[in-house]
Amino acid sequence: MTDITVDALTKEFGDVVALEEVSFEIPEGEFVVVLGVSGSGKSTLLRCLNGLTEPTDGAVTVAGEEVTGPRDDVAMIFQQHNIIGGLSAYANALTGSLNRHRFLSSLLRLQDESDKLLALEALDTVGLLDEARQKARRMSGGQQQRVGIARALVQRPEVLLADEPVASLDPGSAQQVMGYLRTAAEDRGLTTVTSLHQVNLARKFGQRFIGLRDGEKVFDGYREGLTMDVIDEIYGDIDTEGMLAETDIEQGEEPDRPTAGDGPVA
Amino acid sequence: MSGEPAGDDEPPERLAEELDSIRLARARRVLGGLGLVALVGVLFGQALGTVDVLTENYTLEFFLESLGNFFPVTYVGVVPLLDVGAYVAFIGERNLLFASDVSLLWTDPLRLFGEVWSILRSEGLFALFGVAGNTLAVGFAGTVLGFPLALLFGVLGSERVLPFPLNFLFRGTMSAIRAIPALVWILIYIPLAGITPVSAVLAVATDTIGNLGRLFTDELEEIEEGPIEAMETTGASRPQTVTFGMLSQVTTPYIAWTLYIFEINVRIAVSLGVLGAGGLGQVVETQIGLFAFTNAMATLVCIFLLIISVELFSQRIRSRLRAETETMGLWELVVGFPRRFLESLAR
Repeated sequence: MTDITVDALTKEFGDVVALEEVSFEIPEGEFVVVLGVSGSGKSTLLRCLNGLTEPTDGAVTVAGEEVTGPRDDVAMIFQQHNIIGGLSAYANALTGSLNRHRFLSSLLRLQDESDKLLALEALDTVGLLDEARQKARRMSGGQQQRVGIARALVQRPEVLLADEPVASLDPGSAQQVMGYLRTAAEDRGLTTVTSLHQVNLARKFGQRFIGLRDGEKVFDGYREGLTMDVIDEIYGDIDTEGMLAETDIEQGEEPDRPTAGDGPVA
Repeated sequence: MSGEPAGDDEPPERLAEELDSIRLARARRVLGGLGLVALVGVLFGQALGTVDVLTENYTLEFFLESLGNFFPVTYVGVVPLLDVGAYVAFIGERNLLFASDVSLLWTDPLRLFGEVWSILRSEGLFALFGVAGNTLAVGFAGTVLGFPLALLFGVLGSERVLPFPLNFLFRGTMSAIRAIPALVWILIYIPLAGITPVSAVLAVATDTIGNLGRLFTDELEEIEEGPIEAMETTGASRPQTVTFGMLSQVTTPYIAWTLYIFEINVRIAVSLGVLGAGGLGQVVETQIGLFAFTNAMATLVCIFLLIISVELFSQRIRSRLRAETETMGLWELVVGFPRRFLESLAR
């Protein structure tokens, strides 16, 4: 069953064309990575999927319904976490359930016990149950992003979107966060679209890949199709050799990964 | 030295041109600055003329004599010293800082304890601090009373919460309130409750709406867009987005600003007292009117002590709030006290 349909999506900011006639379909439960350099339209695409940005032309349909604005069944994870520093990890996770509660009961934290348990379960999923009562502001970048994932899970979405979720993290935390994201999505059968600019992480965690370049879709396929030529096509004249070298170092412990073999061909 | 740039004729010429234009610009700036100083000077002279500074009938002799009374002198042998005893006597006699008699502490502590207890039971905590307690109560009650409306107006006055023409309704109301000083607001409340501490509380509360509300609005301009967007994507309603996405970003500054306004409100309570609304301000006014300058100065000392205490208290809380490191919660602070006390003794 198709979960997300993007049909001839075009977005212009004044004279700048951020997305041009991008179309694809994502079946339910797929883990999709959007690849591209900065300014290639990754963020704009995700924001259109979420309804945070209104497309100039074309349409996005999620679960058979056209996206016109932020929705309960679509959750978003941001590059800058966007969690609330003054609240505890638990309270932050609980904000994911806002759409199911009235203003006063959410203000006085009178949510159902089931939602409170859901928040703790989500924190457990991202390995933060012991830090549940810590203030978000005092957590590390990786932990904050995991709180962001927990909040998205508490929303009980059908679709999980992540805009560069690990761009501001060090390589170790980035791997960890991507791992938690992938596990959470698999366990719950969520359709996931995440943008990444690190090819190594994309290859390690992605199932399907969509490549964007200057707002146009230049690649759409699965792991086998993501060859060095394709990566060159997506990243243009940027030296991709360096990116793969990084892959080799980080994946040194797992020599069975296909990337290790493809690496130095360029 | 002069030989150095000689190899090429063109650069020195360009440099000289640049230098000339810099000099010209500088000369213009100096002239402009002098003109500005002259203008301020002329305006200052005009302002002094308006307040009749030259034709005023000065009584310098009386002023110096009164100053002498402000600082009474006592002689220890032949050494002149400030007669602090005169201040203490007046402060004790009028219960300016303490409703009972402090000297009981060393003459009859049990009786002091009994009196303190009966004051606490019959008149409450603020009354224990005598006349100063009255001033403090006006400032505190006014702040607490004004806070909810300041919060409402302050939040709704922000363009990020309400779209442009609507938010101006609240911004405008706050501006109007600020245009009228608290000293005038109490005059407006006279028909309701006369010149009493009650009117003073209402005046302080009204003033708080205008000033604290404005600070609340300004603080909201500084918040980040990210958490707001994040709340929107969770499918939160508009009030939920405002509360969790916006207000949760500003809780600490909001508490800090409220404490700051509380400090100012205690000061306003003093000046409202001068108009006759009770408290330390009224005592100062009465004593000056009686030319009892020593007593007036004793009261000023009390005002100084009161304001400094309030400021210290508020500063301590604010620095705790702003501290980046984990601070002790109130619970640990109270419960852990005996242990920390013993630990510091053992050291």
